[in-house]
Amino acid sequence: MHFGENLETLMVRYQQGDFAAASVLVRHISPRLHRFFLAKSMSRADADDLLQETWLRIHKVRHTYRNGEPALPWFYAIARHIRVDHYRKSVRAAAGERELEEMSKGVTTTSPQAGELEALLAPLSESQREVIAMLKVEGMSLEEVARAMSSSVGSVKQKVHRAYKKLRETIGATTPGKWRSGGQA
Amino acid sequence: MKNEEIDDVLKKVARTPQDLDLRLLERIDESIKPSLRPVRPLPPVWRMAVGLVLVCSAVSLAGAARSGFFGAAKMNLLERSLVFPALGLLASVAAVSFVHQMLPASRLRLSPGVLLALSSVALLAAFAGLFRDYHTDHFFSAGIACLLIGLLHAIPAGLLSWLMLRRGFAVNPASAGLVAGTLGGLAGVGMLELHCPNFQAAHILVWHIAVVPVSAALGAMLGWELHLRTRFRARSDER
Repeated sequence: MHFGENLETLMVRYQQGDFAAASVLVRHISPRLHRFFLAKSMSRADADDLLQETWLRIHKVRHTYRNGEPALPWFYAIARHIRVDHYRKSVRAAAGERELEEMSKGVTTTSPQAGELEALLAPLSESQREVIAMLKVEGMSLEEVARAMSSSVGSVKQKVHRAYKKLRETIGATTPGKWRSGGQA
Repeated sequence: MKNEEIDDVLKKVARTPQDLDLRLLERIDESIKPSLRPVRPLPPVWRMAVGLVLVCSAVSLAGAARSGFFGAAKMNLLERSLVFPALGLLASVAAVSFVHQMLPASRLRLSPGVLLALSSVALLAAFAGLFRDYHTDHFFSAGIACLLIGLLHAIPAGLLSWLMLRRGFAVNPASAGLVAGTLGGLAGVGMLELHCPNFQAAHILVWHIAVVPVSAALGAMLGWELHLRTRFRARSDER
């Protein structure tokens, strides 16, 4: 790419079996997907696992990408599917293994960046975090976020509005200046 | 705090360098390299949607051909020219919606719930306007028989539709199942309209139309079940 070459062209070349295009996509998309996973209060090890799992799934269903459609929401839709699966699995596991979870809490490693993002988005609901992470952190458009979430643009706008309202209330009221100064207090 | 300030904070977080392990990226490269072959992209949406409508029509016609076209024969021209085009239109909308469900990041114009509600309400309105016989003979016995016949055709229509789009990937299998069930349900109603000569309004409004939501619910459950089985199989393969 480099990255000047657009994702859609690379995706088509990936479908045609071009390893160089696949490799460029892996290098370009992975950091974004990794950050997307980290924004969901996830340990770094979990995010690494999910990233690998996501790429295996992307590879398996690469034929479902349609030439001419935006590629980024396609990647995120699959990543989101993997994350939801992981979430359900972890909820089930947590119900049965609460004690083990308590023990592992102390050893879970989270990157500093994940901590910052996690703390910032903590007051938001799961879906609001997802929308904010894609829209504001990853810089996707409303249309792209709606596609990635299998939702409508109106619904995404509503989630953003509610998320900002909540962020204004919590950030502004409890820790004025904490985020404005540019880092953790 | 203003929206712009929140934007700035989020952008600052987004700019933080990503310390992603290069070995992880190499592992991903290595995992996809051995099976990297050219793949055939899916056909255009319209072609898949037409295929689905044809499959559902074939199931309805085959069922009616086997049981008799008594309903279609009893209908007058106005009823025929309203009922079947309306069913065709709703089936086309459901087919397009199902194709979009099987393509990740497709633009969804109708949510599965809205599609189900739209199909049921549109049929209710059309049938309530056309059929004015308010007698109720053998309401339950005749009704349950029709519901079962409708479902007997809705299920194969839904399954064949799923089979047709098996190369797709549903990011939300329960929603995809619900839409496939709605499509199958419309095929079931189509078969009943061709076959059933009972034109009592209550019979049609309750039992014929009930095929759509019941079939949609079955589809959603089946979609979820298939998803769980696929996941379980994938995990077993990994081990």
